[in-house]
Amino acid sequence: MTWEPHIFKELHQIPREEHVFPGTPLCAGCGGLESLRLASKVLGSRVVYINAAGCFTNLASFPFTPLDASWLYTTMGSAPAGAQGVRDALDVLIAKGRLPKDEDVKVVVLAGDGSTYDMALSSTSGAITRKLDFYYFCYDNEAYGNTGVQLSPSTPYGARTTTSPCSVQHPAGSTQEKKDIFEIWRAHRPPYMATVSPRFPLDLEEKFARAADYPGPKLFLAFAACPTGWLFDPAYTPDVARLAVECGIWPLKEAINGEVTHTYVPKRRPVEEYLKLQGRFRHLFEPARQEEAIKHIQDRVDSYWEKVKA
Amino acid sequence: MVSIRFHGRGGQGAKTASRIAGTAAFLEGFTAQDSPLYGAERRGAPVSASTRIDRKPIRERGVIARPDLVMIADASLIPDPSARVLEGVDERTVVFVNSPLAADQARAQFSIPGRVTTLDLTGIALEHFGKRGAISALLGAVAGRLAGLRQGSIREAIARELTDLGLAPPVIERNQTVAARCFEAVQPVELDVGARQAMAVAQLRAPTYEPPTKGTAGITAGPNSAIRSMSGWRTFRPVLNPELCNGCWLCFANCPEGAITIKPDGKPAIYYPHCKGCLDCVEVCPTDAMTVERETEAANNT
Repeated sequence: MTWEPHIFKELHQIPREEHVFPGTPLCAGCGGLESLRLASKVLGSRVVYINAAGCFTNLASFPFTPLDASWLYTTMGSAPAGAQGVRDALDVLIAKGRLPKDEDVKVVVLAGDGSTYDMALSSTSGAITRKLDFYYFCYDNEAYGNTGVQLSPSTPYGARTTTSPCSVQHPAGSTQEKKDIFEIWRAHRPPYMATVSPRFPLDLEEKFARAADYPGPKLFLAFAACPTGWLFDPAYTPDVARLAVECGIWPLKEAINGEVTHTYVPKRRPVEEYLKLQGRFRHLFEPARQEEAIKHIQDRVDSYWEKVKA
Repeated sequence: MVSIRFHGRGGQGAKTASRIAGTAAFLEGFTAQDSPLYGAERRGAPVSASTRIDRKPIRERGVIARPDLVMIADASLIPDPSARVLEGVDERTVVFVNSPLAADQARAQFSIPGRVTTLDLTGIALEHFGKRGAISALLGAVAGRLAGLRQGSIREAIARELTDLGLAPPVIERNQTVAARCFEAVQPVELDVGARQAMAVAQLRAPTYEPPTKGTAGITAGPNSAIRSMSGWRTFRPVLNPELCNGCWLCFANCPEGAITIKPDGKPAIYYPHCKGCLDCVEVCPTDAMTVERETEAANNT
């Protein structure tokens, strides 16, 4: 069964109205900001963003904000708890008649992978279990980016970060596998989850539009190609984001009540094309080619898609 | 003691340049200290680093308040008050500016009180590497020359620092060659490292507190970040040729900043004060309607 978009079928349907404005001090070519900008076009302005510490800390650096919505800042580990507080307060106001029901606002957590995969995991698990009605937007750049690119549980095998350098003992750089946060979330059976990529804007817009029909916890894992941390020229952000999907490394999928559908099945080009674009994988090709490490990455991708087909 | 302060934008290589200068001095038997100013290491954001070189042990720590030499990797930082590029610069300070302008012109245009020398490092890098990238080796070599270090030690320092960053030997070699050219090309100005008049740089100002009803009005205002200009971040600017544009909106959908808007006729338009120059729009354009132009200093204000 192939997945069909119901609402967003062509680029000209992307709303022209902006809800994340220019002028943030985030890096040029930030894939996370691009995903958020597209997402906000569907979410609108009646939103409270609960921002965990991370790169997006820089979104609203006083006295400037790029958002035409509200913004609450929390520690890395407590954004879902913050979201619970805001949601409860809104519910109380509605119950008391002080806020008309049709003027309700959405509660959206903004968190990086360090927060999502690591520090806020218990807080998130609690919020999903309590069926908190919120969106969880994770901009995943596979490292602790804002502090200078350190290893996070999202860093994939073979990537070089400042705390996983390529060394004599570990010539491939990071030896860990990327934590599968999608499956950790899915084990909680939330009503809606999806992975998105900024280079697939219609897929992204469609998923945010669909999610509105599902009250409860909603996860969005956004591929945040990171020129600063992954060491590529910012002009290649769209290429890196596209190749991640085309090589099968970043599967575009959604899960409704735990039922997974792949929204785009790529022909799967060799992962090398994706790796070669980025400085964080350069040591796999120079000065000597690390055949084993490249094969390892390819094998992981192949076995993922074999399971999908089965 | 020679105190060198480096200023650049994240990604340009100011931090590595300060390390190259420090390592080169160390290799020549000096005591050396190099450290970047801690901050969010974001591409395009103002970055600063300090290098101290002396025969004696160096007791001073922290950011250099009264530099003997200031290395400016990006001239568009000079008017930015948050970058504090000219802080502590007096008529005795030597100021290097990465700019195609002649020294006198740069001195007048940016109102630099110190003695100025210039070299177009970005131009040289583009000519030799063919693409934008870090100019750390070039900047480090120029700093070394101005500080009186030898070319051989700078060459070795570049190898050490760039190897640390994981660069491949051929890339390092190319950097060394181009850096050597910059070392030769820069017009040296003798440093004046005599004792500096003590100057009160740190002032403690007691903040005045407003009642919350008065003081927080600005926080609840709408999206006000759009009033800031991002033009200084660009090395290149995308230029749209409307005749080649097929109105597909890919550039509009892929601009991380939202600097591209759609006009009533359905065609895109770039608003330059909001453009950081990432060039994602150029990369996604299917009809090559977007081209790239090198940013000149005069154009930086728009």
